[in-house]
Amino acid sequence: MANQVIELDDNGVETGKTGIESAMSYHELNAMINLWDKDGKMQLAKDKLAVRKYFLDHVNQNTVFFHSLKERLDYLVENEYYEKEILDQYRFEFIEELEKLAYSKKFRFDAFMGAYKFYTGYALKTFDGERYLERFEDRVVMVALALAEGKEDIAISMVEEIISGRFQPATPTFLNCGKKQRGEFVSCFLLRIEDNMESISRAINSALQLSKRGGGVALNLSNVREYGAPIKKIEGQSSGIIPVMKLLEDSFSYANQLGARQGAGAVYLNAHHPDILRFLDTKRENADEKTRIKTLSIGIVVPDITMHLAKDNEDMYLFSPYDVEKVYGVPFGDISVTEKYQEMVDDPRIKKQKIKARTLFERIAELQFESGYPYIMYEDTVNKANPIQGRINMSNLCSEILQVNTPTTYNADLSYDQIGKDISCNLGSLNIAMAMDGPDLAKTIETSIRALTSVSDQSDIVSVRSISDGNHKSHAIGLGQMNLHGYLAREHIHYGSEEALDFTNIYFYTVVFNAIQASNKIAIERGSTFANFENSTYASGEYFEKYVTQVWEPKTEKVKELFAKSGAKIPTQADWKKLKTSVMAHGIYNQNLQAVPPTGSISYINNSTSSIHPIASRIEIRKEGKLGRVYYPAPFLSEDTWDYYDDAYEVGPDKIIDTYAVATQHVDQGLSLTLFFKDTATTRDVNRAQINAWRKGIKTIYYIRIRQQALLGTEVDSCVSCML
Amino acid sequence: MDKIKLVSRPVNWNKIEDPIDMDVWNRLTSNFWLPEKVPISNDIQSWETLKPHEKTLTMHVFTGLTMLDTIQGTIGAAALLPDARTPHEEAVITNIAFMESVHAKSYSSVFSTLCSTVDIDEAFRWSEDNPHLQKKAEIILGYYNGDDPLKRKVASTLLESFLFYSGFYLPMYWSSRAKLTNTADLIRLIIRDEAIHGYYIGYKYQLALAEESEVRQAEMKSYTYDLLLELYDNEIKYTADLYDGMGLTEDVKKFLRYNGNKALMNLGYDPLFPKDECDVNPAILAALSPNADENHDFFSGSGSSYVIGKHESTTDDDWDF
Repeated sequence: MANQVIELDDNGVETGKTGIESAMSYHELNAMINLWDKDGKMQLAKDKLAVRKYFLDHVNQNTVFFHSLKERLDYLVENEYYEKEILDQYRFEFIEELEKLAYSKKFRFDAFMGAYKFYTGYALKTFDGERYLERFEDRVVMVALALAEGKEDIAISMVEEIISGRFQPATPTFLNCGKKQRGEFVSCFLLRIEDNMESISRAINSALQLSKRGGGVALNLSNVREYGAPIKKIEGQSSGIIPVMKLLEDSFSYANQLGARQGAGAVYLNAHHPDILRFLDTKRENADEKTRIKTLSIGIVVPDITMHLAKDNEDMYLFSPYDVEKVYGVPFGDISVTEKYQEMVDDPRIKKQKIKARTLFERIAELQFESGYPYIMYEDTVNKANPIQGRINMSNLCSEILQVNTPTTYNADLSYDQIGKDISCNLGSLNIAMAMDGPDLAKTIETSIRALTSVSDQSDIVSVRSISDGNHKSHAIGLGQMNLHGYLAREHIHYGSEEALDFTNIYFYTVVFNAIQASNKIAIERGSTFANFENSTYASGEYFEKYVTQVWEPKTEKVKELFAKSGAKIPTQADWKKLKTSVMAHGIYNQNLQAVPPTGSISYINNSTSSIHPIASRIEIRKEGKLGRVYYPAPFLSEDTWDYYDDAYEVGPDKIIDTYAVATQHVDQGLSLTLFFKDTATTRDVNRAQINAWRKGIKTIYYIRIRQQALLGTEVDSCVSCML
Repeated sequence: MDKIKLVSRPVNWNKIEDPIDMDVWNRLTSNFWLPEKVPISNDIQSWETLKPHEKTLTMHVFTGLTMLDTIQGTIGAAALLPDARTPHEEAVITNIAFMESVHAKSYSSVFSTLCSTVDIDEAFRWSEDNPHLQKKAEIILGYYNGDDPLKRKVASTLLESFLFYSGFYLPMYWSSRAKLTNTADLIRLIIRDEAIHGYYIGYKYQLALAEESEVRQAEMKSYTYDLLLELYDNEIKYTADLYDGMGLTEDVKKFLRYNGNKALMNLGYDPLFPKDECDVNPAILAALSPNADENHDFFSGSGSSYVIGKHESTTDDDWDF
């Protein structure tokens, strides 16, 4: 990296020593937390030393010094590091005050991982990549200035929320805001592909454009005709979806965000698409190179009918999307397979194949052992819970975005005939522990919703018109949550226990109320709602049914105490009735409000446990392209909280599913749910968890992770993470 | 060779003579992998950030490793076959031999992804000319070709558990500095295998040794320590050849001693090197953990933790909803 000192010998010739030796110490200190000391004790203090050493030996020495804020900002604007237009919206004195406010909070990184990740991946650097131009506080101020769009009071609340760790914008927003040379603020894109060459080639073009700008891109392949389907009525011509996947995979590895991270993509396919088994086999360990898919993620769309067919141990029919579209006049993905199943089975015009339904599930589980894939989206569950008019037929790279889309059509010269609606979503997450500690949970949520809305307002991806049109119409955002396990452990509650489920339920119940209220406020301020609000269940009032007819209160003493201690107000039925009236009268500004992402990077910076998952390990070994191996202790880990930090493999799939189920009922989009198994599990255990998840109303399943322990006698001595 | 061995015995996995055979077989097969699994090409950017001497070192290390795995795959593991105590052990050894060949091929796939043919040829030439690498091969080959089955096992265990590690050090070192992290994943898969191979052959050695006379046991013990020291002396020179330019030699030597002790433990002997001379750089030691507890980011690599699953069908009870 930037700090490599070249050592010279007496004659001034390079000795070949890279000077890495001097930088070694903080990596070593950090690695010590994964090893027991001589007395068999944890060495958590070593991580704090690593942070200190990192600042002394690396960050401080490589940060450009300015005499004053004025000098700094002038320099950064003049040299095209910062965007002038953003700073120009404010008085200089105000920016000065805001900086002072940020620095007065005495922010310190709790874990080496957080500091290392921030300076390696987020802080503004000189163009040669050698020196830092920002500290954490400066980044926070710049993000707040960019998102407050000139409103001083809002900028102040954003600094307060972010620097206190209560709200953390997602990586693309936090990384890019205020920078002159930058990618987009939006995290995630979802594109339809229709069954024609124009749409396929446009999809590849869009995939390139969107990954260049730094988002994860998911594409729906369900509409594309299967292997051997006719082209221009000539039978046996189509090569199916695998070559399209290959093209996409190569596109994603070509485009990366200024080298910041590799383009990442996912593709979804309906379980009843005839290429489904081929699709899954692309992830096989010994798949042929021509068909093997290494870096593209895959997801499968499972309708209820598939579950029922498997229950009865029957065959399931796979339908040709080419024929289905001809018969129904709409693409395969826009049809409810559950609803039309029998009709399509009986229709001789639709070509079909059959496989054993249970075989499909076994195959899925086998693949998940080998590769962690595919993701699963339970299509009917998702659509039943969807408050918006239209159909959801896919999810995204992290399986938490669930929105409706419509097709785009093209003219012969490849120009647009009719621009449909594709999906984008920008994300940000609350740190549950900090939000509960904070002075005002409702305000934290409102500020977060405003920050995310601002990202949507400022985004305009002109290179992909279906995305920019979709965004302008929907203003969709996704407020997420993280550090659930951290909070529970700190409060001495076991993950998945009765108290934990009670807390999760009431917390999410409180969040959804405040999120809708904030969006309603914005709609009133601006006098506008998302497009087609009038046909949503928000407008009909149906959405509010469960909140105005049921009473939602904590059931356990412990959770009552937690909310009392926090001061966070739990909304009452009367509050909901009032909100319902206001929403039906004035609408809400955002078509979608919540989505709970897996929170990788930002949870390290924010010193949180990821998402609402249990921890992967008390000391997590994290490997990432840009970081190498870094060790991350669970937040608040101490002798005192040790017992409350059972890891995800110990916790097991059932408790994770229960936790997600209580949260899911209050979230309009999805929640990335990873299931963790020990290596003693079989494909049947994985299948059982999938069935259980579907029964409990889980919308999507993200990765399956399997942990394998070292064979007795081959483990590394004194390694903390080797301990069970 | 023993005539009785020529009588063909069908391997009956329903009658296990030594449960360790079954354990190790299951572990090895569920660990099966091919180099194509790891997206090495994601390391190209990182490779280009290495200085010329760092690239050369890396290539030399990899040719050295290729050499050892070639020996182990084509001669080493096969030489252990006639000494197998059970038919299941034969099956395990053939698996070991095959995986060693997979390892040898993996290094090539790293080469061909990251370097040009000219550089690769140069590196292979280096390996043929380096006296210490050649000597290392000679010593081990000498024992494989000899007629003492116990000595063959010792040589093999020292190869698996000790000799590879001067090479393994480097990818672990790079990975702890965020360089070549996918290559490190691949090496970690190899280490995962080698750890089991060394453990298994060492275990079989201990079984065979227990049946020998006390005199013979004493002879084997001093033979083992002598051989380790001979290899260690050579290994130090080899290490210096490789790592002096980076100033890492002393650090690698600690790592060698640490693994030398592990090899002895696999063979049932006490450690040779004092503990405080084996205080391996924690970043390397921690990177070495063969457990699959790494929480990797799926988008940048495939990780070294996935296994082939055990298949079990669901029953009607599972689908009761």
